[in-house]
Amino acid sequence: MNERKSVSVRIGARGLTRRYGSLVANDGIGLAVRPGTIHAIVGGNGAGKSTLMRILQGVDSPDEGTVILDDEPVRLKGPADAFARGVGMVHQEFMIAAPLTLLENLILAREPLGRDGLIDWRAAEAQATRLAASAGVAIDWRRTAGDAPIHVRQILEILRLLYRGADVLILDEPTAVLAPSQIEELLRLMQKLRAEGRTILFISHKLEEVMKCSDAITVMRAGRVVANTAATATSVDELARAMVGEATPVVRVEPCAPVGSEQLLSLRGLVARDPLGFERLGPVDLDIRAGEIVGIAGVGGNGQDELVACAAGILAPLAGSIRFAAVDLAGAPAARFRESGIGYLSADRAHEGLCLCASLKDNFIAGRERDAAFSRLGFLRPAGIRAETAAALQRLGVRYGALGDPAGSLSGGNQQRLAIARELAREPKLLVAAQPTRGVDIAGTAFIHNLIAAFRDRGGAVLLVSEALDEILSLSDRVACLFNGRVVGELSRSEATVETVGRLMLGRKAAA
Amino acid sequence: MTRALGSRIAHTLGVAAPFAFALAIGAAILLAAGFDPLGVYKLMVQEAFGGDRRIAATLTAATPLLLTGLAAAIAFRAGIFNVGAEGCFYLGGLVAAVVGAAVPAWSSAPAILVALGAAVLAGGLWLLGPGVLRASLGVDEVVTTLMLNFIAIGLTGWLVNGPLLARGSANSATPLIAANAELPRLMPPTTLNLGFVISLALVIAYGACSRFAVSGFRSKLVGMNPRFSRAVGIEPGRIFLAMMIVSGAIGGLAGGIHALGLVHRFVGGFSPGYGFTGIAIALLARNTALGLIVASILFGALSSAGANIQLFSDVPIEIVEILQGAVMIFAVANLGVFWKRRRGAA
Repeated sequence: MNERKSVSVRIGARGLTRRYGSLVANDGIGLAVRPGTIHAIVGGNGAGKSTLMRILQGVDSPDEGTVILDDEPVRLKGPADAFARGVGMVHQEFMIAAPLTLLENLILAREPLGRDGLIDWRAAEAQATRLAASAGVAIDWRRTAGDAPIHVRQILEILRLLYRGADVLILDEPTAVLAPSQIEELLRLMQKLRAEGRTILFISHKLEEVMKCSDAITVMRAGRVVANTAATATSVDELARAMVGEATPVVRVEPCAPVGSEQLLSLRGLVARDPLGFERLGPVDLDIRAGEIVGIAGVGGNGQDELVACAAGILAPLAGSIRFAAVDLAGAPAARFRESGIGYLSADRAHEGLCLCASLKDNFIAGRERDAAFSRLGFLRPAGIRAETAAALQRLGVRYGALGDPAGSLSGGNQQRLAIARELAREPKLLVAAQPTRGVDIAGTAFIHNLIAAFRDRGGAVLLVSEALDEILSLSDRVACLFNGRVVGELSRSEATVETVGRLMLGRKAAA
Repeated sequence: MTRALGSRIAHTLGVAAPFAFALAIGAAILLAAGFDPLGVYKLMVQEAFGGDRRIAATLTAATPLLLTGLAAAIAFRAGIFNVGAEGCFYLGGLVAAVVGAAVPAWSSAPAILVALGAAVLAGGLWLLGPGVLRASLGVDEVVTTLMLNFIAIGLTGWLVNGPLLARGSANSATPLIAANAELPRLMPPTTLNLGFVISLALVIAYGACSRFAVSGFRSKLVGMNPRFSRAVGIEPGRIFLAMMIVSGAIGGLAGGIHALGLVHRFVGGFSPGYGFTGIAIALLARNTALGLIVASILFGALSSAGANIQLFSDVPIEIVEILQGAVMIFAVANLGVFWKRRRGAA
């Protein structure tokens, strides 16, 4: 590691260009990361961050230009090659074998062997303990990875890179899935690793965190590097302007239409289990009227997922009723929920919100293929499908190559726009929106917020579940707080503030 | 444009590669056994495609494979790994043979329709159980359909040896079917019959449905991502059940056509594993209609050439079976990936 100190660029890129069809994902990228620093890459969705990281990690290769490692241009043959040169990455979706223990996950593929050729568990555990201690974290190594909380799984991924000897860590939006206190812990860990001489590439679009922990910052927009600066020489506002470009969108969502008088959705005594069989939700009572947005605030894991799944008809409740437009839908298949007029924006965009391997067209018409516009007498009408999809995607400003491309070819924010395009095109009466802007950039978030508000103003009802408190506060007409599976308080738009909602989220009583 | 072309080439090579690998392995074995591989392969091509009669024999051999391949592809496309076509083939064959022997002196068309309809029904109903179990309880269909194969083979074997045994026959065989229930031959004296046309038409219809029909669209989405399908209102369970039944019905029809078109009765050991070969064909074809046709004809060629090659050379028929086995092994691997990766790196 000492010789590496003498290089000026530990990892970087020169003139790097990568095209996907007509889309230029990376356009002449130049990047220089000094050893022993935390270097942040910020940019909106579709800015080309993920493509750049895939290339730096050897998963993808550039059309032009080159990757730089230790001041030398290199051609990476694959992720294993990158790893051999000390470069490891923690992906947004963790690469973890859920049924194995944390310890087994740590040593997987690099198991310490005893003289008999079997795994030396004592050595493995000793090494794991040492690693955790040096990183300053406490981990129960015998726990099953699938049961471990999400931040522990993430720390495991980082420790695994260290275990395997990586000294350049690429972290792809590591804070997106974490609660505020866990983010603090992660940032501390990153600073500790830097102090040990490791180099960290930190991808994010949360500017406060970036400012807090980075040494250098590179801003990307639309496939290009638009700014390269030291953290001390810039500000959040300046970064935000560079990220978004000239026209900074204003997030301003105000209710304008009167709320309807009838209850559209009425949940009574709703109880539901999580996939592991634990009674995570309920009993919960909740009403939503036409023309209002009801926000559900709560720390992740307090029953939001189950509430959403019940309201969307994905999960049959254990007990209670789901009355929608005066019909009890509890236990009915998801198809009935949709026919009744419930739209669903899944928090799990990659697996439930979209079918990433199917085309944009297929994703857009999925569930509506029987509509007269898309099929006649059981046969699809390709021309009608193409025209409607193209029109809808254009309305929502989706950046795409061709309508036949797989949805997975879109960037995260554009994928979400595609999902919203499909759900709004059905003209539902109620939209169940779970984490509608998770992983979406500032401009995209404002756009999506405006769509949701406009839907409400047309008389639609929205059940909004989000981990982003500012999203809940800026959109909701009413905020219900979930704690331990129960609604612990409901606040009107004027009562709901960071303080009042925050207190309820943590299970404390509302201030008198 | 070049990229699209490149991926198409990669796809084609991926499909063709298993045959190339299999031929190479076969050549190595032939060489080791002291034969001239090129000579043997040339002889095989001649035996399979040299002249009308030989082509007719190849297409006759391809007929059951078209349908068992189709049965597998329909299920695979919807994300269910149905390996029960073999059992359906036996049942469909027996039912068609029994009905075909019992039909009165109707004209040919209704007699054939009734016999084949019975075979379709038998095959579809046979997989109703696995379909319901998968759709409602999530029971693994590989286990249930595989086990039902053994039951179907045992059941038909017992019936044909007992209650349904032709009078005066020592072998396990049902009586010959009535002449009006036989599928008409297309090129007498060859055994190529109307069954080939029916099978080909069904595969083409499948190709059209998978691209243009609402049912084909739903089946594709469920096969790609059942969770997503459910969220957009397509119940995966219903698709699983429907496609399982259709798959079974096609398997039954394959047996029925085999009985009415070629064997003209049901005999013990009715199928030399057509149902399982169909699985390899569907995998090789990546569930596409064109792929099913090409792969079925190639497998048909292998078996029709194999039968003759033993007569005209001292090459053992086992070599053909080795080739078939090798193709099946490589069929499962997605070899197009290698080609793509190399291109990407270059």
